[in-house]
Order: sequence, then C-alpha cells, then structure tokens
Amino acid sequence: MRDKKVWLIHAVLILFSLLTLLPFGFMVNNVFRSNAEFYHAFFSFPAAFEQALSIAGGSLVGDETPVAMADEEGAIRQMGRGRAMRLSLNRATRGPRLAWKVIRPYMLNTLIVASLTVIGVVLLGSATAYILARYQFAGHRPLFLFIISTMMFPGVLTLVPSFLLVKSLGLLNTYWAMVLPYIAGGQVFAIFVFKSYFEGLPEELFESARIDGAGHLQIYWQIVLPLSRSILSVVAIMNILGTWNNFLWPFITNTEGTHHVVSSGLFVLATTAHASNFSTLYAAYAISSIPLLVLFIYATRPFIRGVTSGAFKA
Amino acid sequence: MSIRLKSTVSCYAIVLPSLVLLTIFVYFPVFWAFFNSLFEFEIGAASRFVGLANYSEYLTQDPTTLLSLTNMLVLTLLAVTMRLTFPLVVARLIYALPQERWRYIYRIVFLVPIVVPGVAVQLIWAGMIYSDFGLLNELLRGLGLSHWARGWLADPQTALVSIALVGFPFVGGFEVLIYYAGFSAIPESVNEAAALDGCTGLQKFFRIDIPMVLSQLKLILILTLIAGVQGFENIFILTRGGPGFETTVPGLWMYFNAFSFQRMGYACAIGVLLFVIIFGLTLLNMKYFKSSEELQGVR
Repeated sequence: MRDKKVWLIHAVLILFSLLTLLPFGFMVNNVFRSNAEFYHAFFSFPAAFEQALSIAGGSLVGDETPVAMADEEGAIRQMGRGRAMRLSLNRATRGPRLAWKVIRPYMLNTLIVASLTVIGVVLLGSATAYILARYQFAGHRPLFLFIISTMMFPGVLTLVPSFLLVKSLGLLNTYWAMVLPYIAGGQVFAIFVFKSYFEGLPEELFESARIDGAGHLQIYWQIVLPLSRSILSVVAIMNILGTWNNFLWPFITNTEGTHHVVSSGLFVLATTAHASNFSTLYAAYAISSIPLLVLFIYATRPFIRGVTSGAFKA
Repeated sequence: MSIRLKSTVSCYAIVLPSLVLLTIFVYFPVFWAFFNSLFEFEIGAASRFVGLANYSEYLTQDPTTLLSLTNMLVLTLLAVTMRLTFPLVVARLIYALPQERWRYIYRIVFLVPIVVPGVAVQLIWAGMIYSDFGLLNELLRGLGLSHWARGWLADPQTALVSIALVGFPFVGGFEVLIYYAGFSAIPESVNEAAALDGCTGLQKFFRIDIPMVLSQLKLILILTLIAGVQGFENIFILTRGGPGFETTVPGLWMYFNAFSFQRMGYACAIGVLLFVIIFGLTLLNMKYFKSSEELQGVR
C-alpha cells in the first residue's frame, strides 16, 4: 500500500519534470537539425546524428563498404566511411559553430560585466555590512535606513530616469553603464545578508584583534572575509545569476549595439537575419546556458542556499 | 582628535563608496522620476513644466490605459493562481517521498532550468507556440486538429492567454525550494498529532500543511504581485504588446513612450503611478507579515 503510494508520487513528479524540461529538450534537439528537417520532419532526431551513428555502427561490426552521401557541393556520391563520418558530424555541428561565432563577443562582454559587478558588490557590500554590524557610531541607524530604504523603489520607477542619467554621464555603450548601476543596486541585498551574518560572529575575535592593534580594514580583510567564504559565495552566485539574466537594461543602454551581453544579444540575434536559421538560434540559447550550468554543477549547495535566501528580498 | 571621533570618521570613510553609488544611481533616479513626471520632456528638446498634466493625460485620455490595466490584472491574477498551486503541490509531493536522496534529486531537477537565461526561455517558448513549425501547432496537426492550430501570439483572441501560459507547467525551482523549506519546517509533533487524530491525505493537506506554509505562500504572493505590476520583459520579447494593443501593459507602454516616442516626462509619470501601486502592495505586505509574526507568538 505504502509502496504503491510512493510509486504514484514518483509517477506524478516524473511527469511534471518531463513537462518542465520539455522546452529545453526541444532546444537541445533543434541545435543539431537543419531547417529542412524542421519543414519536413518536425518530430525527429537530428538526421546528421542518425547518419553518423549508423556509419559508426557499421564500421564497428567491420563493414567497410563506401556509403552514398551528399558531399560539400550537395551532389550525392559514393565515399569512404571516414569522410562520410566527418561530413555528417560537420553538418550536425554547423549550427553551434555559427552560433558560437556570433555570441562569442556577447559571452565575453557578459563575463566582464558579471565579474566587475560581482567583485564590486562583494567588496563594497561586505565592507559596509562589516562596519554596520560591528561598530556603533553617530548616525549608525539613519545610515542603515538610508541603505535599506532603496529596496522599496522598484525597477519600473527608475528605469527611464536611470537611462537619462547614464546618458548624461556619457556612459551609454560602455561597460560602466551596466556595472555601476548593478553594483549600486546589488550591494543592498548583499549588505542585508552580510550584516546579519557578521553580527553572528563572536565578539572575542574582534577584541583580541583590536588589542593586537589591528585597524578596521585589517580586521575586515584578515578575519571577517576568510570566516565568511560560504556566505560570500552564496551572495556572489545570486548576483551573477541576476546579471546574467538582466535583459532590458543592457538592451536599452547599448544604443549602438557595441557592448551587448548574452541576454540582450540573444534577443538581437532572434530578431535579425540569423533568426531564419533555426539551429544557429537554438545553439545560441544552449551555449548561453553553459556557463551557469557549470557554475550550478560546481556549486550546487551554495546555489540552492542562494536561491532560498532570495526570500530575504521581500 | 579623540579616538572615538577618529573611529567614526574611518567608519564613514569605508562606507562612503556604497553611499556615493546609492545616491547617484538609486536616489537620484528616484528623485528624477518624480521631477521629470511634471515636465513635457523630450531628449534634445527644451523641457516645459506642465504640472500634473502627464498624470491626467494617462488617467483620462490615453486610449491604452484601461485595456493595459485590465491586461495587467488578468496576467497578474493568472500568474498568482499558477505560482500558488503547481509548485506547492510539487513541493508537497517531493516532501512526501521517504528517501532524502530522491527528494534532493527532484529539487535539483526543477531548479536546473534556472541556468537558461530568461530571454532564451521566452524565445524558446515563442518558437514552440509559433504559427508555422511550432511544437504546439505541429502536434495539433499531427492529432488531426489542424483547425485548432493558429498563431497563438498573433491571434488577438489567444495572445494574452498564451503569454500567461508560457512556462507551463509553472513549476519554478525557486518556488519549489521555498515551499519545500516551509514543509520541512513543520514540527514532527504536528505531523504525529495529525496522524493520531486520523487526519490524512487531502484533509491534512488543506487543514495542516497549507496553514503551516502560509508565510511562504504570502511571500510568493507578494513577489508575484509586484512582478505582475512592473514586469513587461516577457511581453516585450513575445509580442511587443500586439496584436494591436491586446497584450500591452502599463510598464510596456512606459517603455514605448520613453524609448520609441521620446516622451520621457510622460513615461516617468507612468512609472510613478506603477510605483504607487507597488508601494501600496508593499505596505499591505508589511501589515500581513506583522500579523503572521503575531500569529507565531500565539503558537
């Protein structure tokens, strides 16, 4: 009875998993398919892969007869199995290779923007949070309120004036148009999380350091930061996730399209001539997911903690 | 200089960069939003003080206002319905599994899609429900239901609902994790007491589990409401507000006024109005959270 119930739960969860992952399966499958396959065999596995598999399978059992295949010019010819194999793999990876060429600069821009942002957010956020958490001084409370109040201003209120500001500062079409506002906004959440963490650190640590004559910065650098690696990585991952997903701001501030990041670049790609080549498009989506997938695999637990800690934002 | 004053000065020196950035890139735009909303202001032209004319124009004369507010309401209510049900049920099912290993695996499975950029997710969905060579229509044709196939986002009758249904089955990894954390926090004694009283299955779900994750439900509710009022990226990507104005929402209209029609002052006024709605929701939320804290005190 109990077993039966568990199996039923598994069945429902697997159904939901499959439905949730369906769009991404659709994406991966389309990476390797030509437009012709879209038009004539919509529900199919990539033909070039099937071809490569059957050639490889034949070769494995010792079949060495030549195969008939379209060559580079499109003429059907008999050719050796090695060449046929190379040709079909070449065909399957045409989309990804084209896509990589297009989105490589976007990836690089995203990497630069995300790195500068995360460094700024973690450094400024932790330094400010450290001061707020461990020192009492005149104006402490108003200062904290000044910082935390910014959480009540939604992006929709500041979108247009922020654009006007960045424009009048002459920052349009630069990395700084993204990095500086991202740090300014992103540090608030970081300060919030770091502050409550730093408040939990034992006071004796700080006292003995102060007795040894260490200054603010020394204590922060040599004691606080090394003790906070796990919370730092949580905030860092959340921040990178945010930067990676931000689409509208890079799209708006790149009026000349010179500094597009992945998100805005994908949209541009999908609305220009490349859109007529499905495999390039889907390959671009797939490739743009790889960096975060690697991060996810490498740091699953801080990732999960970070997503749950997003609850603090409300 | 006294040690105390010296210490205060160095404290301020360290927080200074944070404060400068916040002042320039958050507080100044906030101030400018209110300020600009009182002007007729186009980039490159002289701006002219018009008082509250932008507000009154949007509220009384703009032909899109009523439709876009209705669209916003419909989309938000649908989003709330989806996010308060599907992930909740999935999280409860995961929580019901006896083995920790499987509970972990399922949480990961539902979280993985987060690695795909949001823009790509919207564009993939656009491809799936596209009129020709879209997954949905090809499926319908394959099933002999070709008269149902249509350009889901291009047809005025289906565009809005299609936008709301993008993301089916709405089991977001974020929501699942939040609800799951809520279920995990239910004290074992509560579950045992329920079992002793013969409270099981659906009855337990509605009488015990849901009340125990009420604060998580409220959190998702307020986040979804705020996102519903201010969000328009998905609509911008999928339909750009069309066909006609069938899927336009106020946020999108603000965007077009600012970046297509160059009406910066008017756009700022729309932004301020949306801020007022969100601020109201935030106040309601704070009141609610207070009451839930009181509730915990009673427990």
